[in-house]
Amino acid sequence: MEFDWSVEDAAYRKEFVDFLGEILPENWDEISKHGPGSDLQAEFSKKFCGKMADKGWLTQHWPAEYGGKDAGAWRHAVVGEECWAIGEPRGSQYMNVNWVGPAVMQYGTDEQKKLHLPAIASGNIFWCQGFSEPEAGSDLVSLRTLAIPDGDDYVINGTKIWTSYVQHANYCFLLARTDPDSKRHTGISVFLVPMETPGIEVREIPSVVGARYFHEVFFTDVRVPKGCMLGEVNAGWEVVNFALQYERVGAARYARAALTLDHLAKVAKETGLMDDPIVVDKLAQARCICEAARMLTYRVIDTRAKDAKPTTDTQLARIAGTRTDRAIGELAVEILGPDALEYGSFADANFRLAMTAGVAVGATEVQLNLVARRFLELPKK
Amino acid sequence: MDFELSEDQQQILKSVKDLLGQHAGPTRNIELQPNAAYDTELHDALEENGYTEIARMDEMGPLEAALIAEEVAYAAGVVAFAESALVATGVSDEEIEGPISLATVADSGKPIRYACTAKTLLILDGDEARVLSLKDGDIEKVESNFGYPMGRYKGELKGAGKSLGAGSGDKLRNWWRVALAVETVGCMRAALWHVVGYLSERRQFGVAIGSFQAVQHKLADNAVTIHGARWLALEAAFKGAQKDQAAVAAAFALETAGTAFTDFHQLAGAIGFTREHNLHVWTMRLMALRVELGGVHSHRRAIAEARWEVQ
Repeated sequence: MEFDWSVEDAAYRKEFVDFLGEILPENWDEISKHGPGSDLQAEFSKKFCGKMADKGWLTQHWPAEYGGKDAGAWRHAVVGEECWAIGEPRGSQYMNVNWVGPAVMQYGTDEQKKLHLPAIASGNIFWCQGFSEPEAGSDLVSLRTLAIPDGDDYVINGTKIWTSYVQHANYCFLLARTDPDSKRHTGISVFLVPMETPGIEVREIPSVVGARYFHEVFFTDVRVPKGCMLGEVNAGWEVVNFALQYERVGAARYARAALTLDHLAKVAKETGLMDDPIVVDKLAQARCICEAARMLTYRVIDTRAKDAKPTTDTQLARIAGTRTDRAIGELAVEILGPDALEYGSFADANFRLAMTAGVAVGATEVQLNLVARRFLELPKK
Repeated sequence: MDFELSEDQQQILKSVKDLLGQHAGPTRNIELQPNAAYDTELHDALEENGYTEIARMDEMGPLEAALIAEEVAYAAGVVAFAESALVATGVSDEEIEGPISLATVADSGKPIRYACTAKTLLILDGDEARVLSLKDGDIEKVESNFGYPMGRYKGELKGAGKSLGAGSGDKLRNWWRVALAVETVGCMRAALWHVVGYLSERRQFGVAIGSFQAVQHKLADNAVTIHGARWLALEAAFKGAQKDQAAVAAAFALETAGTAFTDFHQLAGAIGFTREHNLHVWTMRLMALRVELGGVHSHRRAIAEARWEVQ
């Protein structure tokens, strides 16, 4: 056990931070406050990810046989921390390199690998995820979207909801039931669906989280070739679990939270709020929450770096991660006061980001259930 | 970065656990409590095996000392191990005679953990650490419900003992915080698994109490914070007790300790308050740790000083 960054990763961090300093435009803060899914940030991410790809950095953590550099999970974490801390210039493409690509490597056919991996590695493509449905939220295995074989194709019908990043997406990582008589997690398959396929309709769900944050995606007689299926038929639950293990700690939210907190402390000093010991206490308390989430996330990265089987450490890290967002979001409003009420202000942007933290990628309560049953091994009855 | 124990670390912890299995545990703790007695046998065994000085050994360091201290706390050992193995080794290049008890000058006339059983007081006096060899009659025993032998120094702590030089105060403060965090984590982890075991067996309404979701979520929540606290404490030890990290580790562990105490006793019900049930062995200690060195708010203040240069 030891907690030092390797010399190579520490040196790389410096190089990467310098690169960010050179490449980010002066108005980056203005762009990033709209969020990774915004039009502005998506557009910017193409340029940014393209430049990362040119340097061989975008997918450097991938195995060499898939165009990566075998740089490992810790190197990927360095990029994740530095990108999230400043508002994620990779936009939604962080998902591509984090879990879409690895899922294709793990379960894809040669043809799928040839199609998707170079495209993701080029930094010019967007994915969205088609998991939740109107009647299948936290209870994801109740999903009803059906994919029925018809000749060389599958025909998909159903509705997905809460989908982010969909307006730019080229592909959807879709979960559908391929055995209509199946229940729960059996009979589900994964499809890699081109979003330009006829029959897909997208509707924005206006929300207080922000513009173009949530969408409904309707699939009406959407016909895709059988070759779009990722993994074995009816074995999609394993694929999605693999993907979610990566996604749950994919965003280095603690890194952004820590930077936001430093900014709040600066504001509190400038405005005199820091003279109040209660404010000092709250800021320091929030720093502890961020730091705990950082270490719990590192625990998961270590497992990944060793190619070991994922454990419930993922859930511990996820729960702790959502706590950072909550703590910082609330504190931002408290410290900035009435300024927080203006749409797009620093505190408003952070608060909106924090709102969904305990709900996205599996509600906190579901994560707590998993910790109780699998980690603490508490009885069912 | 490596979150798994190395082979050497595994070997050391295995030997430590064997030793604690023979000498420590809640039953031994309860046996010693009525007289506020110190576990000299355990203290000597840890010292003879070289664990007290492990932080100074080649290829070893404060992380190994912290891992052992956590085990000692987990086993409810009645020994001031972290005081010697983590704090004294961090503050002074010279060996300081143990058992050691830690005090600030503000603790004059107040109950001090392990003071009644210590040979040396390590005193925090402004920017200096001071070493005071205790003589017979310097300390009076204090009756306490909070899980450790307690004593009161009869004289004035300000200026007492021999100074370890300017700047030694900060070292003492930081290592003390790390020791507090490690000890707290050991107690919390033991209490968590103890409560989980009890609630998995205790049945009411025809089912195990631990099967209720309201109960499970509280325990799971504590599992998250306790494990976060654990990694912070170990990292702070590994990195040599830097001010920010030491204060973060202490503040988070001791905040968590407050919640853990309340939740574990709530969930264990009335039996958890009795001396025939072992929960108190760890939980009462948590409250003693929470008030030391100015408590949670003082650790948080230190975070703000280190991170944001708050005066």
